[in-house]
Amino acid sequence: MDSSSGSEFDYLFKLLMIGDSGVGKSSLLLSFTSDSFEELSPTIGVDFKVKQVTIGGKKLKLAIWDTAGQERFRTLTSSYYRGAQGIIMVYDVTRRETFTNLSDIWAKEIDLYSTNQDCIKMLVGNKVDKENERVVTKKEGIDFAREYGCLFIECSAKTRVNVEQCFEELVLKILDTPSLTAEGSTTVKRNIFKQKPPTDEATSGCC
Amino acid sequence: MEASIGKFFESVGTFFSGGDSIPWCDSDIVVGCEREVAEAEKGSSDELKSECLLRLSWALVHSKRSEDVQRGIAMLEASLPRTSDPLQMREKMYLLAVGYYRSADYPRSRQLVDRCLEIAPEWRQAITLKKSVEDRIKKDGVIGIGIAATAVGLLAGGLAAALARKK
Repeated sequence: MDSSSGSEFDYLFKLLMIGDSGVGKSSLLLSFTSDSFEELSPTIGVDFKVKQVTIGGKKLKLAIWDTAGQERFRTLTSSYYRGAQGIIMVYDVTRRETFTNLSDIWAKEIDLYSTNQDCIKMLVGNKVDKENERVVTKKEGIDFAREYGCLFIECSAKTRVNVEQCFEELVLKILDTPSLTAEGSTTVKRNIFKQKPPTDEATSGCC
Repeated sequence: MEASIGKFFESVGTFFSGGDSIPWCDSDIVVGCEREVAEAEKGSSDELKSECLLRLSWALVHSKRSEDVQRGIAMLEASLPRTSDPLQMREKMYLLAVGYYRSADYPRSRQLVDRCLEIAPEWRQAITLKKSVEDRIKKDGVIGIGIAATAVGLLAGGLAAALARKK
C-alpha cells in the first residue's frame, strides 16, 4: 500500500554523528541523504534520518543519528550512543578548537557512553572547500586517526566531495566486522531501532 | 511469544506512522533529565535550571509514553508565556509542535510549526516535522474517507435490505 511497508534489507545499522557545534554534522547528513546543502540552524537535541543504500553487494538501511553539538544538550545526546555500530566524529578543518575538542571531549564521550566494544569510529574533517582558511592539516587528522584507531577522511558537505565515500568506508568496515553484522542482521533489527543494545547488561558496561 | 506480538504491533505502528522521521526517546532518558532538574532546583543559576528544563521537555515530548508527552506539553505551555528570549521561544514552540504531533493533534502541531518556519524558514528540523504532520493529515484523510465510504455502504445496504423486506 505504501512505500514504507515494502522495506527489505539485509542489515540495519545505527550510525551516530558527534562533534562540536557548527562543524557541519547536519549539513553532512543532509548532503548524504538528499544531495543538497544548506546553512542550517543548530540542531535541537537529536535528529535522525534513514537512508537505504546498497554497499558491498548488501542492501542496507542506515539509521543515522545526528546529535546537537551544543553543550547544553550533551546529557541528552549521550544517551544515543547506545547500540551504534558506527560513530562519525566531525571537526571543521578551519577551526582548530573543533579538532582539539575531539580528544578533550568527544573521544571521552565515546568511551563513556558507547556500548559496542567493536563499534567503528570514523574521523571526518569537514569544510575542505575553504582550503585557504584551513588551520588543521591533513597530516594531523591522519595522526589522530592512527592514535585513536579510527578511519579518516576529509570532505566537504558543501561541494559533496568525499561525502558518499565517508559513509561508504564506514559501512564497509562495519560489514567487515562479524560482531557488528550479527547485531545489525534482520533478526535483531527492531531492537537496534529502539536504540537498545541487544543484551541489557551491556548498558552499564564500559569499553 | 510476547516478543513476536510486540514486533507485530511495532510494525503496524511504523506502517501508520509512515517511517517516522522524528526521534524517539526512552524512558530512562526522561528519568535522567528529571534527576538533573531535581539537582538544579537545589540552588543552581537560573540559566542552568532553564537548560535542564529544556532538556526535560525535549525528552518528554519525544517519549514513547503518551503520559510523558502530555506532561511535556503542559510544561511547555506553562513556560511559553514566561519566555522572552526569541531563540528559546522558537525552540519551545518547536518542541510543543512535536508534542502535539505525537499526541495526534495535527492541526495544532501544524499551526505551531508554521510559526516556527515564519521565524526561521530554513529550519531543517521544523521542515521535517511539518512534512510529517502533513503526511499524517493526508493519511487520516484517506482513513476518514474509508470510514465514510464504509458507513455509506452499510447505510445503502441497510436501506436496500429494508426495501427488499417491504416488498
